[in-house]
Amino acid sequence: MNGAVLRLENVDKFYGAVGQGVHAVRNVSMDVGQGDIIALLGSSGCGKTSTLRMIAGFEETSRGKIHLSGREVQTLPPVRRHVAMAFEGYSLYPTVNVRDNIAFALKAQRLPRAEVDAKVTEVTKMLEIDDILERMPNSLSGGQQQRASLARALIRDADLYLLDEPMGQLEPQLRTLLRGRLKHFIKERGMTAILVTHDQTEANALADEIAVMEDGVLQQFASPAELKERPANLFTGTFVGEPPMNVFPVSVESKAERLVLRFEGGQCLNYPESAFAAEVRAALIANGRVVIGVRPYAVRRSEAGAPANVLTNQWLGDQSHISASFANSTIVLVEHDRARVAIGDRIMIELSPTDLHVFDPESGMAISHGRELT
Amino acid sequence: MSIQLSNIRKSFANDLVLDGVSLDIPTGETLVLFGPSGAGKTVLLRLIAGVVDPDEGRIIVNGVDMDGVVPEDRGIGMAFQNFALFPHMDAHANIASPLTARRETRSGIETRVREVAKLLKIDHVLGHTPAELSNGQKQRTALGRALAAEPSILLLDDPLRNVDAKLRFEMRLELPRLLKAQNATVIFVTQDYKEAMALGDRIAVMGDHGIVQIGTPEEIYLCPSSTRIARLFGDPTINLLDVVPEIGVQGPVVQLSATDVAISGSYAGAVGKACSLGIRPEAIRFVAPGAPGAFPVEIEAETPLNEKTVTLAATRNHREILVSRPAGTPGPDHGKAHVAIDMGNALLFDRATGARIIAADAPTDEMAT
Repeated sequence: MNGAVLRLENVDKFYGAVGQGVHAVRNVSMDVGQGDIIALLGSSGCGKTSTLRMIAGFEETSRGKIHLSGREVQTLPPVRRHVAMAFEGYSLYPTVNVRDNIAFALKAQRLPRAEVDAKVTEVTKMLEIDDILERMPNSLSGGQQQRASLARALIRDADLYLLDEPMGQLEPQLRTLLRGRLKHFIKERGMTAILVTHDQTEANALADEIAVMEDGVLQQFASPAELKERPANLFTGTFVGEPPMNVFPVSVESKAERLVLRFEGGQCLNYPESAFAAEVRAALIANGRVVIGVRPYAVRRSEAGAPANVLTNQWLGDQSHISASFANSTIVLVEHDRARVAIGDRIMIELSPTDLHVFDPESGMAISHGRELT
Repeated sequence: MSIQLSNIRKSFANDLVLDGVSLDIPTGETLVLFGPSGAGKTVLLRLIAGVVDPDEGRIIVNGVDMDGVVPEDRGIGMAFQNFALFPHMDAHANIASPLTARRETRSGIETRVREVAKLLKIDHVLGHTPAELSNGQKQRTALGRALAAEPSILLLDDPLRNVDAKLRFEMRLELPRLLKAQNATVIFVTQDYKEAMALGDRIAVMGDHGIVQIGTPEEIYLCPSSTRIARLFGDPTINLLDVVPEIGVQGPVVQLSATDVAISGSYAGAVGKACSLGIRPEAIRFVAPGAPGAFPVEIEAETPLNEKTVTLAATRNHREILVSRPAGTPGPDHGKAHVAIDMGNALLFDRATGARIIAADAPTDEMAT
């Protein structure tokens, strides 16, 4: 790929002997383009931090190649890779104040003082820490230390910025604001950044593309919109998205120009065949038994649908989360307005063909997505 | 069973934690204690449990003063943050322990343990000892033990804290049903406002050594009594804009982005005062220039947030505002745009004290219908 700042080629990480120890990262390949923000997303132990640390050079690359700005770097020490990293554990120098911690790298480059000051002011204003520059690290809260550490990385001149859980310690109120600012800051300067996070909200908010990892395997590498609309498998389908995607095993019956999805427990949704794109219809009929997934936001209430009984209706201020018993299981709906339904109410559920995701029940791999072909 | 606290004071050494807390919790209510760390939420639970004693004040459970009643005689079930599982017993035995102690029948115990474990999604690890469980599983085991005993009072200290996002969501949906089925009186501590709104019949917001506001989720979200409380609920956070209401042609107005925007006439008394105007991000819409109440903004960044799109925009006088809309609905083009505020739920706060200014003549107008 032209303009790739970073390329991982079949990268493996073993803790212990290669081929024998714990296989933490498995054959990961990906390209990161100039100016992109990438998120490595997964739960703890998925291999995302190991991947980041191999890119930074703090962890040995067990197998495979890492190219950075056209150079092969997997054997180079961190200082020669021209990357800037913000650590989850902050790692500020305890004996100097916040200003000097942040300015350290620039001073070492012997930049003019006025330029250093201007840069420090700019980045610390953005992160709302311009009022604590004269304080020592041990007098700071976790969130302040984290922002100081982030500022120290962002202020440097580097080919690639590596941010390990950069907002984990911040209070939620500040987090939303700073996400917007951080994205604006990085984009305005054309910086290339990789962030590691377990928080999908953060990944979705900041990243152009998200690498979803599980068990050391790169499950999918795609834009937030594509992860939502075209999850590659049941894992990414149900991992990305809040509340999680509803999934149901169904059998598919086709008769008299109608397509019937029969759920466990007997409920049916009956569609004209023409409601499905030809490829989706063919995939459904050919498979016979599939798992369908539908996002809570795409579940609609409509008299034409199948019955479900309301179990909960929780209002969160700007949206309502409703759960209802359906198909021997539970279906979750999200409505942006305040939903006026009570526990025990019978509601009728409709799933639009364009909102269905179809998965192979054995492998979990996606077969088709309702939206892709219409 | 009902719980009444009157005028509870509690200090540790010289540290005043609770200063005159009174609370009345009817039978079957789920009350959420919500607030930042250090606000005294856990201390309040421990006082009710009888693990610590108040310096002053009374704790009444079902009409009986608990002064001098030891924890085990209070009939209260607890699940605290620090698990406190029996290390030598597996998860099954831990969950069953209160039932075993009550000498319930073997089949009754078995049924109950399975039921609770299934709900909490730990039925596959019932044979594991605490050392073999993840933190989230330990936490659910402790919660399972508290639930299995079916106590009439249940004190839950952030029981979902270590649970991953997906399961946490499922539990948030399912817990209330179980609690209501038991008709338990529940005090539930959390730092997650969504959990607080979803689970609480009422929410007691804690701060300043006591309860700063108590009410239904609706009351707290729509009529927070201060900017501090307003900021604790909602994602993205409420916008707080510095304004000074002025006299306008048809009633009081505030200046936003060099444009006069009308506020409710009942705020006339606030004219000339330094105020903060509280606007939820979902109450701001992108509109065509010239639409009623429209004012210009510059778009800085757009970030998706759980099926919403959040826009960070700057007004003419460089104030940042957050605007949210359901994902997939049309938004602004890059660069410049116009927004209008749905002033129906707008809140006005005294900028100096942060206290909400109650509209003079029509206090009920502020409640959304």
